[in-house]
Amino acid sequence: MTTSLVRTFPERGGDRLYAPHPARILRIEKLTDLETLFEVELAGKRELNHQPGQFVQVSVFGYGEAPISVSSSPARRGSFELCVRNMGGLTAALHRFGPGDTIGIRGPFGNGFPMHCMQKMDCLMVAGGIGMAPLRSVIQTILADRDQYGRLIVLYGSRTPGDILFTDEIASWQADSRNEILVTVDREAPGWDGHIGVVTTLFPLVKVNPKAVATALCGPPVMYRFVLAELNAMQVPERQIFLSLERRMKCGMGKCGHCQIDDRCVCTDGPVFTAEEVRSIHESI
Amino acid sequence: MAEKAVLNAEGLTAWLGQVCSRSPVLAPVKRGRASFAFEWIKDPADVRLDYVRTILPPKQAFLPSREPLLSVRRDMRATASVSGDPFVLFGVHPCDLMAINQLDWSMLRRHNIEDPYYLARRKAATIVAVNCFPDKYCFCTSVGSCDTQEGADVFFTPVLSGFMVETLTERGAALLEGAKLREASAEEITAAEAFSRQKRRRTVLRLNAEVAELPGLFEKRYESEVWGSTARRCYSCGTCTNVCPTCFCFDVRELADLSLETATRWRQFDSCQSVDFAIVAGGHNFRGDRPDRVRHRWFRKFVYLNREYGKAFCVGCGRCTQQCTASISLVDVANSIIAEAKERVA
Repeated sequence: MTTSLVRTFPERGGDRLYAPHPARILRIEKLTDLETLFEVELAGKRELNHQPGQFVQVSVFGYGEAPISVSSSPARRGSFELCVRNMGGLTAALHRFGPGDTIGIRGPFGNGFPMHCMQKMDCLMVAGGIGMAPLRSVIQTILADRDQYGRLIVLYGSRTPGDILFTDEIASWQADSRNEILVTVDREAPGWDGHIGVVTTLFPLVKVNPKAVATALCGPPVMYRFVLAELNAMQVPERQIFLSLERRMKCGMGKCGHCQIDDRCVCTDGPVFTAEEVRSIHESI
Repeated sequence: MAEKAVLNAEGLTAWLGQVCSRSPVLAPVKRGRASFAFEWIKDPADVRLDYVRTILPPKQAFLPSREPLLSVRRDMRATASVSGDPFVLFGVHPCDLMAINQLDWSMLRRHNIEDPYYLARRKAATIVAVNCFPDKYCFCTSVGSCDTQEGADVFFTPVLSGFMVETLTERGAALLEGAKLREASAEEITAAEAFSRQKRRRTVLRLNAEVAELPGLFEKRYESEVWGSTARRCYSCGTCTNVCPTCFCFDVRELADLSLETATRWRQFDSCQSVDFAIVAGGHNFRGDRPDRVRHRWFRKFVYLNREYGKAFCVGCGRCTQQCTASISLVDVANSIIAEAKERVA
């Protein structure tokens, strides 16, 4: 597949295939009422060596595993970050953890966003809600190697101002005049003087050259349907649009069947697909 | 060319006795009035080779319905309990043998990742297959599983005086040591060769299309009303996936021990027919409606994995149809779809 990066899957077999690697929480940062950022270090000074858009299986003792995408850039060495929403069960347990506590990590899994397809291109990032978590890894990668990429345009939609993730970091992106960072919330809210409306209402505010833009999307399925229609109207070629699909992966290795859509497994063939692929895959969004 | 010889009925019982004394044997036994099951054999006389199908497929030998993957400590040090003690899987029919080949692909070769638990048990198995005649639920001739020998170490074909025995591997030859084999007569060789033809003649149930055509035909009827009408009868009970010899989907769960110092991570069969199979953390359910789940099962068997693997992920064993709590016939539904697709082409 053209979108696939070289996979960095750690094991191909062997008795340790399902075993988590111990990891330590170094730092936590509460981002919103529901979301917390965890900085994690693998035991034995092992590097995760992930690609932006890849995910890991996070183990919490007594709860099992949940797939969570890596939120930091691979350029960061020694540790990585996971932005986790408290959805009950394992994620609620994780929110009771603090610095020094031990979790388990398997992975990284999946293909990730094809950064080589974005180089020399204008990069349009469209994030909805917690979709900002994996896209932050892409954005940080672009910023770390800024000259390799064209314009950086970020369109980010949240439900309320209180749901906006990484507010300080977003402000620092906005401070650089080379970046166009637009944030919107769904409805009017006290103290919010920014844009109001769903993420697609930001599209008229930016002008892009459809031939020279690479687009990365991450958000809920309903967002994809509307954003894809918008990009289609702008005549952005489907091969230049990359989407990350969410599924309930149990193994991460194409065995458990949970993320099977059509003849693909989201965990091994994805989670990033082109809009062209998504169009031909049943039940993808 | 496989060596051929004959083992008569008395010789079979005596040899099975020897085999059972050397290693555990999983073989079909009579369970109820007309049902059979693969069980670990205590008395070789219990083994029955006159069965049509067992309630559950022999895949449980390699992929148990529930198994511990890991023992996990609070500090996340995990111990994997991978083990495979040698055993003999005796009396597997060609359809179930083909299903084992398909599981080999999904568990060992698919995505180039090898599942260690499956591998350990698979490597530990010596498989003796036996040919069979169909009943009204069998449609092995439609999915290419009626003559499967691949994957077996020894292959039996019933002949009047007992079984024509083909030794297919060295492991099979070792297993047959001590068996009172005699040279086959010309009549017996002719009878064994006629077996497959008779089997084909007697298999009346069939899919009305070739396996290779199925993905194209099914795609044409993705939106068919047949999925809805089938779903109105379906209870989403998951019996079809539980009894299927090729279904491999699993869930992983962790249970902490009472000490709260260690936990066991289990995997167990899961069913794409369960309402929560495709639900994600945000609550979005990609197959929340029953017609979507019903369609997924047929598409997975005949389209998705067929396209990926090159063969249908159904071996025509008939279990799902025979045991469906709502009497839904896999073949009838497939043939309705095939008929609709062909009608629209014509």
